[in-house]
Amino acid sequence: MKKAIIIRYCEIHLKGKNRGYFEKMLKENIKRSLKNINCTFAAMHSRYLIEDFSEEDLPIIEEKLHKIAGIHTYSIALVVENDFEKIFEACSSLCNGKHGTFRVTANRADKTFTPNSMECARLLGGRLLEVYGDKIKVDVVTPSFTVFVDIREDGKTFVYTDVVHCMSGMPVGSAGRGLLLISGGIDSPVAGYMMCKRGMKLDCLHFHSFPYTGEAAKQKVVDLTEKLGEYNGGINLYVVSFTHIQEVIHENCPEEFMITLMRRFMMRIAERLSYKIGAQAIVTGESLGQVASQTIESITSSNSVVTMPVLRPLIAFDKIDIIDISRKIATYETSILPYEDCCTVFLPKFPAIKPDLKRVLKAESNLDVDGLIEEAMKNIEKISL
Amino acid sequence: MIYFDNAATTKPSASALKKAEIYNDEQFFNPSALYQGGLSSANAIKSAKEYILKTIGASTSEYEVVFTSCGSESDNQAIFCAVKRGFFVTDKGEHSAVFKCFCELKNRGIKTELIDLNPDGSINEQKLFQLAEKEKIDFVSIVHVNNETGAVNDINRIADKLKEINPRIVFHSDGVQAYGKMPYKLGKNIDLYSLSAHKINGLKGSGALIKRKKQNLAPLVFGGGQEGGLRSGTENLFGIKVFENAARERFDNLEENFKKTENIKNYIENGLDKEIFSVLSGKKSSPYILTVSAKGLRGEVLMHTLETFGIIVGNGSACASKNRYSRVIEACGYKNDVLDGVVRLSFSPENTIEEAERFVKIFNESASKLKRIMQK
Repeated sequence: MKKAIIIRYCEIHLKGKNRGYFEKMLKENIKRSLKNINCTFAAMHSRYLIEDFSEEDLPIIEEKLHKIAGIHTYSIALVVENDFEKIFEACSSLCNGKHGTFRVTANRADKTFTPNSMECARLLGGRLLEVYGDKIKVDVVTPSFTVFVDIREDGKTFVYTDVVHCMSGMPVGSAGRGLLLISGGIDSPVAGYMMCKRGMKLDCLHFHSFPYTGEAAKQKVVDLTEKLGEYNGGINLYVVSFTHIQEVIHENCPEEFMITLMRRFMMRIAERLSYKIGAQAIVTGESLGQVASQTIESITSSNSVVTMPVLRPLIAFDKIDIIDISRKIATYETSILPYEDCCTVFLPKFPAIKPDLKRVLKAESNLDVDGLIEEAMKNIEKISL
Repeated sequence: MIYFDNAATTKPSASALKKAEIYNDEQFFNPSALYQGGLSSANAIKSAKEYILKTIGASTSEYEVVFTSCGSESDNQAIFCAVKRGFFVTDKGEHSAVFKCFCELKNRGIKTELIDLNPDGSINEQKLFQLAEKEKIDFVSIVHVNNETGAVNDINRIADKLKEINPRIVFHSDGVQAYGKMPYKLGKNIDLYSLSAHKINGLKGSGALIKRKKQNLAPLVFGGGQEGGLRSGTENLFGIKVFENAARERFDNLEENFKKTENIKNYIENGLDKEIFSVLSGKKSSPYILTVSAKGLRGEVLMHTLETFGIIVGNGSACASKNRYSRVIEACGYKNDVLDGVVRLSFSPENTIEEAERFVKIFNESASKLKRIMQK
C-alpha cells in the first residue's frame, strides 16, 4: 500500500485575510527542507501532503519535519482508493499487532461515497472487531488508539492511527529577522530556537576573544549555530574579535564594571550589525537574575545603549527548563563542553550585581567608545552554515 | 612553525615510513597466514620485537614483546591482567592511562594506594618503601618519566628495593616518555614496561608492552590468539615496522639527541624571564620536557598567544571551570596561581637551538605583555 505524510499547521488557522501569506511561507520552508529528497509535495486545504517517497527516506523526512516551525502535527497514512473493501484492508493492516481499546473516526469529503461517515465508522469498527476481537475492543470515549479514515474528493482515502506532534509555532521568516547573540553556553541556542519557533529568521553574532579563548571555543559556537540552523533553514554566523575592547575596558575601568561595560559594547555592536544586515531585533538568552549581568539593573544598563528592540525569550525561564529544551534540540551536549567563553575572561571576583547607571556612564567616559566599535566592525568574519 | 609539544605526539619520521612502505604493498600478508607471504610478515614482526628488546638491553630468552594499539592499552593490560587481586600501589604523577585504571580498580573494590610526589613530580620513594615494609603489596606501577614535569624515577632501583622487601611484588612502569629518549637498560626486577610509537616519530595506534616471560599475563583483547594469545587481532604490521624503524633512528643517535635537547632545554630555562616564569621541572628531569608556570597568567591564553606566532606548546590541562588544574602538578604541591599558568614545552631531536632562541624571545615578550594587561 502506498504511504503519504499529511502535515497540519495550527496557529495559521487563526489568521484572517493574510492567511495565504503564512501558508505559502510554510509551504516554501517545507519544500526547501525536502529539496534533496525524492518526493512530491502538494498543498491541500489547510494541510500539506508528501507522497511518492521511498520507504528508506521516511525517517529522514520525519526528522526534518520536526525541525520546521509552523508544523503542528503530521501523520503517516496509507493511501487507498475510495472503495470500502480497500479502506477496510488499510484499517486492518494498521490494527494488526495492536492491543487495547480503539475507535474509528471517519470523515467523508466525497459526498458521493456511501455509506456516510457515521455508518462507515460503525461498519469498519465491526469488521475490525471480527478480525482482531481477541486483542482489541471498542471504546469511543477514551480509546487507546483511533483509526482515522479520511475519504477525499479526489478519489483517495487516507487511513492512519498516529498523530505526531512537531514544533508548532509560526513559519520561519514570517516574523522578520533577528540577530542572536550566541556565547557557547546553554541558554543562547535555546533562545534562538524559541525565536525560530515564533517565525523569526535569525543570524548569529559571536564575540571571540582570541587568545583568551581558543579556536576550540569558536568551533563549539560554530557547531551550536549549525544545529540551530537546522530550525532556521540555514544560518549565518558573524564572529567579532572582542579581545581589544576587553583589554581596553580591563585597563581603564573599575574591575567591578567589566561585565557591565562588555555587555554594553556587545549590544552596540549587535545593533550596528543588525542595521547592516537588515535584522530588526536583537535576541539574547538572558534569564532574569541568572547571573550578575542578568539582573534587572544590569539589563537596564546594557539595554540603554540601543534603541532597537531586544528580545529575551528566556527572561522568565528557570535554568532547569532551559536545560530541558536544550536537551530536546540536542544542543546541550555541545554547550557543556568545557571551553572558556568571552564572558569568563577577565571575570572580576566581585562583579557589580546592581550597576548604577550613573557610575557605569562615568566608568565608560574613560573610553573611546565609537573608535573601539568602529574597529570591531571592521573585522567581522562571516560564516555561512 | 616551532613545534614544542612533542610529549603529546611527534611528527612521524618520513624515512621510517618509507622503509616500511613494503608492508603496505607487496609484503601485506597476514602474519598468521601459513603461506610464504604470511611467514615473511611474521618474521618481520619477530625481528621488530628482537630489535626493541635489544634497545633496552633485554634478552630474548627472558623478555618478550606484546604489540598493542597504544601506550594506554599496554598500561591497561599490565594493570588489569597481571595480578587478579590484592593491594595495588601507584603514585600521584601517573598518566591518566594508569591513574584511571587505578580509579577503576578502586571502584571494583580492590585496595589501592597513591603515593605522594616530590615537588619536581618524582615519587616520594621513602613513603613507597615504608608502605611496602608495613603492608603486603601485590602490584606496583611507577611512571618512568613523568609526562607533565619530566621528572625521572629511578625505576630500576625502586624495583630492586621493593623486591628486596617483597619478592612477590609485580612491578610495572609506563615508559612512554622515556623510551628512545634517554639511555636506559631494563632492570632485572622490572616485570612489565609500556611503550608507545608515536612519541618517538612512529605512528599513532601502535604501542608495545614489554613483559618478563615468567610473568603471568592474561589477554585484554580475546580472539585469534595473535601475540602468543596475549593480544588478539591481526597485527598492525605497517605500524609495527614504522615503530621499529623510528626506534632505530632514535637509538642510533641516542646520546647525541640527548645532548642536543639538553642544550635546547637549558637555553630556554636560562633565557626565561625569571620575574614571570618559575620552572616546575626539576634539575634532574628529562631533557625532553620543560614545564614552567607564568604566575598569575593562564596557560591556555599563553598557548593561544604563541599560536599566533606559529609556536605550538602544550598546556597541562583544559582551561575550564571543571577539572581546571592538572592533577599531577597539583600533586606536586603547587597552589592555584601557579597551576593556572602551566605551560609544558616538550622537545624532539628535530628542534634546533635557533628555534629555542626565537621561542625565548617571543615567550618572554608575550608573557610580559599579557601580564601588563592582566595586572593593570
